[in-house]
Amino acid sequence: MCVGLPAKVRKVEDGMAVIDASGAERTVSAQMIDGLEPGDYVMVHAGMAIAKITGDDDTEAEDLLEELN
Amino acid sequence: MSETITMAHGAGGKQTSELIGGIFSKYFANPLLTADDAAVLPRPEGRIAMSTDGFIVSPSEFPGGNIGRLSVCGTVNDLSCMGARPLYLTCSFVIEEGFPIDELDHLACSMAETAKEVGVVLVAGDTKVAGKGQVDGVFITTAGVGVIDDDVNTGGALAKPGDAIIVTGDIGRHGCAILLARDEFKIKADVTSDDAPLWNNVKAVLDTTKDVHVIRDATRGGVGTVLYEIAGQSDVGIRIEQTDVPVDETVQGVCGMLGLNPLYLACEGRLVIMAPKDKAPAIVEALRGCQYSENAAIIGEVTAENKGRVVIHTEIGSETLLPLPGGELLPRIC
Amino acid sequence: MGNAVEKAAEIVRGYDGRPLRFMEVCGTHTHEIFRLGIRNMLPPNIRLISGPGCPVCVTPTGYIDEAVMLALEKGCTICTFGDLVRVPGSDLSLAEARAKGAKIVMVYSPLDSVEYAEEHPDEQVVWLAVGFETTTPATCVAVKKAKEKGLTNYSQLTANKFMDNAYLALKGSADAFLYPGHVSVVTGTSIYEHLRDDEGISGVVTGFTGPEVLTALAYCIRGCEKGEPFFKNCYPRVVTDEGSPSGRAIIAETLEPVDSEWRGLGVIPQSGYRLREEYAEFDARKKFSLPVIKGHPNPACRCGEVLQGKCTPEECPLFGKVCTPEHPVGACMVSGEGACSAFYKYKL
Repeated sequence: MCVGLPAKVRKVEDGMAVIDASGAERTVSAQMIDGLEPGDYVMVHAGMAIAKITGDDDTEAEDLLEELN
Repeated sequence: MSETITMAHGAGGKQTSELIGGIFSKYFANPLLTADDAAVLPRPEGRIAMSTDGFIVSPSEFPGGNIGRLSVCGTVNDLSCMGARPLYLTCSFVIEEGFPIDELDHLACSMAETAKEVGVVLVAGDTKVAGKGQVDGVFITTAGVGVIDDDVNTGGALAKPGDAIIVTGDIGRHGCAILLARDEFKIKADVTSDDAPLWNNVKAVLDTTKDVHVIRDATRGGVGTVLYEIAGQSDVGIRIEQTDVPVDETVQGVCGMLGLNPLYLACEGRLVIMAPKDKAPAIVEALRGCQYSENAAIIGEVTAENKGRVVIHTEIGSETLLPLPGGELLPRIC
Repeated sequence: MGNAVEKAAEIVRGYDGRPLRFMEVCGTHTHEIFRLGIRNMLPPNIRLISGPGCPVCVTPTGYIDEAVMLALEKGCTICTFGDLVRVPGSDLSLAEARAKGAKIVMVYSPLDSVEYAEEHPDEQVVWLAVGFETTTPATCVAVKKAKEKGLTNYSQLTANKFMDNAYLALKGSADAFLYPGHVSVVTGTSIYEHLRDDEGISGVVTGFTGPEVLTALAYCIRGCEKGEPFFKNCYPRVVTDEGSPSGRAIIAETLEPVDSEWRGLGVIPQSGYRLREEYAEFDARKKFSLPVIKGHPNPACRCGEVLQGKCTPEECPLFGKVCTPEHPVGACMVSGEGACSAFYKYKL
């Protein structure tokens, strides 16, 4: 339903952000996230940065599994 | 000479001569290309391979190439896949009225340079002009003839279980470059087409070993489509390692944004090669020594099970079927 | 391969308790689960059901008919995600309408449709607004932008949906749900606590990579073993408890909830959106006086039951015979994220 792509924020201006996903750049709306800054990692969907990303999947999964045991 | 192509350029009179003299003769001149109705060629030794291919790419100029270079690569690579040394090419242009002459000049120049890379000569040509809107810019069709050494035998039906599967470089760059050049999705990325004439690469492989079963260029539909074609033609299964398939990081980024799989993106300078596993390391080494195949890699193997199918060993250690490519390649977003 | 993958896979592979059914609600989960080969790692007593979280799959046939009518009879330019282009309508898909001369423009973002309208003042541009909570804010930003710019050649055909009440409709379909990670980005997680506490519905918010999906499955297994309704956010690096208040505010500003038809599930109360009165001029249905169109899906198609996990794609009489990705009958076959398409394409 919602293909998301992790990307790095390069520039923020007038509610829009330039994001970079491994060299693929695109201008997207930044209106859903307050205080977005260059260098932040975000999840991008359909031309909109929808969330900040605060960690990587492997570490997160390891922590969760640790907790499960 | 006027600055754009007019209907007069296709009428066979003075302007046609000007066009041929001003552009085509300038770049394509060689003793076999004459003003006569057909090229008269010496009879070559051995078996002959012959192929033809039409090109209608839009835009006609894109990062890393253009329709002229592409039209030579396409036929050269088709011949090379049969192990044939390309000897002669013909080309036929259908040009839209109003097409800029300097662009045509540039395309012809590219064609000549590309042909020179692999030592193939242009021996006949044709030019037609179509009314405005009847074609999109310029369409080019090329045909070519090559010769095959006696001990070389490649074909899509010859893959054998136990063969290694090699690709000659990172995949999907041409398709990605075209997609970016059309700018429909407003994505900026530095991706150049992989288009390249690959006879020298095939020659390097055949100089290493003649024991090569399949060579195919992964054009429309990409490497994924080629793998299915071979699995069907040879009635074998194919198994590839997801993490061994070379994909440029930026191409992966673009694909991620649009929900596309690089395995289905077109290449215009990449071969899929299948040969006995014990020959594969030497083949890869030979390829890595050649321009255009520096990143050659073994990506999988031919299997006796799963006939007609392509199975991927995924990054989490499981297996799944590579979906059979089909229909228009559509971005998957919502 | 990371350590997490191995650890989680061990839990999943090693499960030998009572039979469990988990529903991945989101179509992107369906797609990734097949792509990664996760179904082939499951023991026989765990069954994954592909739920209704693919907007293309749950969009009723009549919606495609409306879009085709706008394109062919009203002469509109249709801007859309590529996902919708091959979905069969009662008579035509958009791809088939294009072959008859309709102008169909594929874009990456709803915002691009506004830009397209600005650049083509001579065309009446209609954005096909489908999608769940994740996609809806972008659609809302687009219509706001069109209003700010005073565009008179832009409108939207709204069919956005939201999941809250759909979960209730799906209650009992599975032992636990893999909740959609990117929808949860907007909604936050309180809804899942409510489902656990008030409805006894269990589930975990799930990310989309191999380690994330496997970890979520491990949590579902352990949770079911304990026997109490449970909820866990297994995607905290992206999903916060409060979700995105600004995303929800953007939605509320331009859209209001309505009862909505879900293909295969019927009308679910308060599960879809329409444009608010202040944005009526951008409502394509009003602007072009569209009649109410009742679509005619193929009656033999069992997409609806597939979406609820009541039957597997292979149990549908059309599957793989008349209904294939090349000639889809039901929406679950046409969408790259649909359960039928995924079964057809990936099944080993």
